[in-house]
Amino acid sequence: MLKRERNLTYALIVLVSLLTVAPVLMLVMGSFSNSLHSFGNFTLKKYISVYTDPMLFSVLGNTAIFVVGSAAFATILALFLAYLNTRTDIPFKFLFKVLSVMPMMIPHVLFGVSWALLLNPSNGILNMWLMRAFSLSSAPFNIYSLPGMVLVEGLLDMPIAYLIIAPAMGSFDASLEESSRVFKSGPVKTLMRITLPILRPAIMAAFILCIVRALASFGVPSVLGMPGRVYVLSTFIYRVITVSLIADYGKAAAIGMSILVISVGLIYVYRYFTRASDKFVTVSSRGFKPSVVQLRKGKIPLFIILLLISFILIVLPVLVLLYTSLVPYVMVPGKQAFAAMSLQNWRVVIKDPISLRSLKNSLFLCLVGATVGTFLSVLVAYVIVKIKSKASGFLESISFLSFSFPGIVIGIGFMWYFVRTPIYATIWALFFSYVATYLPYGIRPMTSAFVQIHGSLEESSLVCGASFATTMRRIVIPLLVPGIVSSWVLLATMFFRELSLSAVLSRPGTEVLAIQILRFSEDGQWGRLSALGLIMIAISIIMVAGVNILGARFKPGEVREKRVKVESQPLKATS
Amino acid sequence: MEIKIRGLKKRYYSEGKVINALDGVDLDIEANKIFTLLGPSGCGKTTLLRCIVGLETPDEGEIQIGDTIVWSKEKGIYVPTEKRQLGMVFQTYAIWPHMNVFNNVAYPLQNMKLPKAEIAARVAKTLKFVQLEGFESRPSTRLSGGQQQRVALARALVAEPKVILFDEPLSNLDAKLREETRKELKTFLGDLGITAVYVTHDRVEALALSDTIGVMNAGHIVELGSPKKIYFDADHQFVADFIGRANLIPATITEQGEAYTFVDTAVGPIRCQKRSFAPDDELVLCLRPEFIEFGKVEGDDVNHLDGTISQMSFVGEMYETEVDVNGIRIMTKLDPMTRYNEGDRVTLNVKAEQCLLVSK
Repeated sequence: MLKRERNLTYALIVLVSLLTVAPVLMLVMGSFSNSLHSFGNFTLKKYISVYTDPMLFSVLGNTAIFVVGSAAFATILALFLAYLNTRTDIPFKFLFKVLSVMPMMIPHVLFGVSWALLLNPSNGILNMWLMRAFSLSSAPFNIYSLPGMVLVEGLLDMPIAYLIIAPAMGSFDASLEESSRVFKSGPVKTLMRITLPILRPAIMAAFILCIVRALASFGVPSVLGMPGRVYVLSTFIYRVITVSLIADYGKAAAIGMSILVISVGLIYVYRYFTRASDKFVTVSSRGFKPSVVQLRKGKIPLFIILLLISFILIVLPVLVLLYTSLVPYVMVPGKQAFAAMSLQNWRVVIKDPISLRSLKNSLFLCLVGATVGTFLSVLVAYVIVKIKSKASGFLESISFLSFSFPGIVIGIGFMWYFVRTPIYATIWALFFSYVATYLPYGIRPMTSAFVQIHGSLEESSLVCGASFATTMRRIVIPLLVPGIVSSWVLLATMFFRELSLSAVLSRPGTEVLAIQILRFSEDGQWGRLSALGLIMIAISIIMVAGVNILGARFKPGEVREKRVKVESQPLKATS
Repeated sequence: MEIKIRGLKKRYYSEGKVINALDGVDLDIEANKIFTLLGPSGCGKTTLLRCIVGLETPDEGEIQIGDTIVWSKEKGIYVPTEKRQLGMVFQTYAIWPHMNVFNNVAYPLQNMKLPKAEIAARVAKTLKFVQLEGFESRPSTRLSGGQQQRVALARALVAEPKVILFDEPLSNLDAKLREETRKELKTFLGDLGITAVYVTHDRVEALALSDTIGVMNAGHIVELGSPKKIYFDADHQFVADFIGRANLIPATITEQGEAYTFVDTAVGPIRCQKRSFAPDDELVLCLRPEFIEFGKVEGDDVNHLDGTISQMSFVGEMYETEVDVNGIRIMTKLDPMTRYNEGDRVTLNVKAEQCLLVSK
């Protein structure tokens, strides 16, 4: 038994190292190499050429504004929504749940595109309408700008911040606030002097995680930044490997190194704050309900703001895409537009061989990748939670390594890695890089599932005379089903819309959906893009809903009552 | 089936320190009796139980259940848990949430590969025994705490093991239910007449349920005996203190009389139940509040203590009363209807046979 556990641990360490440690090493070595084909000849040439590039200065400035701006916007919005949900009597609280899972449904690149369709300076729908309505000579808004990118990225990252801040705010011990009220502080003063300072670790953790996400973000910078020549680090790397005549992966690796260092550093700071927030926030198990603020007069206006945010985040992108997919070219909604509506774009897309191939590839990566990723996650989570040793601690740290890696940077690492193997330029290159990069997202739900299986549930099975195999089959695996379902769904939705790794590793023949969307956007094929995007959203929703229904049937409770009917029959026969 | 334990040792390493959870335990557990391991948390009682059932591996020693040696360091024997054919009720009950009551209880029989009809019949019989008839198809997540407890008991009993083990089975129930379940359990175990090993830190449970109690501390069995022996006749201060409320006053022997042992204490000279000790033993006088009476009663076998009532707390069924005797506060009880008041001068009576000398 012990030997078997040790063997499993070491086997997983080797496997996970190949997936997560190897690309980082290749990235580091690649950054000191001249080209993909002269790997290993040490040179500082790439670093010198990148860090003396005159463009880099403006790119760094853009990145700083983009990253800090969107993170601040996301955090403040999340704070506002979390407060409304957990501490006030605002109606329709289910909207908050919808808002927090929204990014699983709508790919970031499509969300960015829908804003481009509304507010781009040459033919943005809203811009054209405003120009006509107020007889303006030029477009009032330009989404292809830093403020536009900050706004859209901030909206997209808000749920991440919300999911960190809302639980902390909800489990807050109300007596801390009540005692402040007793000492004659008003509600606003209490919020500023007591509530927010106590929640500071959670707020900082949310802010930093948003910075990391924005730094890694490629969808928004590519569809909103590149058309207006506003480059941030991630699109700068993309430019280095695609725009110039000869893709320079050494240079890309050299830029990537600096993003990687910043990103890993920020994750350390994030860990510090989440640890601190565990200590700080006084979560009480005794069922304290935080005091609810009566909104009174503010209720209706605040509710309208909430509805507006929900509309912008959920309904608007789908509406814009649907409208665009039906009209032959971008026009202001009206009589003329409705008369011109047809399914032409849809017909073209479902006959377009590249779109179909990208759909097929994405489905394969999503279904097979998520299944393999979940299987690996189950094993790794088992070792992390149930086998406590130095080796399993090491496995945990290398498995979560990729959590801090921006996709496009680690993609460059994989490029250096795979080019030396036969899987280069095949679908398997995407497959392995997906599984490796998103492994932490698969492991997280599984570790909490394992933690919830109290040791005595397995032990009592042994006492009841069941072998190790029977215990696994009849006790452990069935109890893991909810964890397996959430791991699979999380991985599948992420794989289905994966963009930043694919932007580096996808080749003709291995296109994926997000890449095809990016191509359409670069070519201004808005109608086809919208049709394909809607197909993508629809499949995501069906997949998430389907797996959840399937998972619910296997959940403790429902299954039992079904099984009962079968197994209580012999009982009746004998008694 | 009796259980024999010889020289059992188990060490843990925690933060560089060695913890002797079991420090050489020798123990014989009688067949078909209820044996309780009683002790404070961390005394090693649960570790000992887990060694018996095979969920922990001892470092040294031997365990024999009936005629079978299930673990021996010297002889290199290890019978895995699933082959030991024991029943066990866990502290958390460990009812599998994804199975209904029938499947939870049938599980041990299913592992024995019995025919379905026999399984169904035996499950029905066991559920009837624990008064859960008709609960077969109930999802186990929809059981109350007391019902879960009974399902756990049914599962432990269904395969008719020769030994059943309990790991603090009542500690997750609220006070009232705990009392009811304790009485039920006593009835069930009385009816069954099998060997039961029961681990608890609750002295009332131990006194009420057991035929024999083993009091544990720091990896040792300190004392072994019937509930009455442990309560009235403890040999050690630790046991006397743990099994009930006690006034503990350091004492020195002045004279070994024919019928009594005479000691000197801070509350004056006291005649005690006769007992002999090794000459260098440090001794403590143990006076239980329930044996201290108010008012002067004459007699050769009675000790008198004069003092002042320093505090009275009304707790419902009595006044918890403290009497200051020579600067020592003696815990006593007074009837809730009493006429005594704080500050009253009183005389306390304690019979010599209820003055227990124990070694420190």
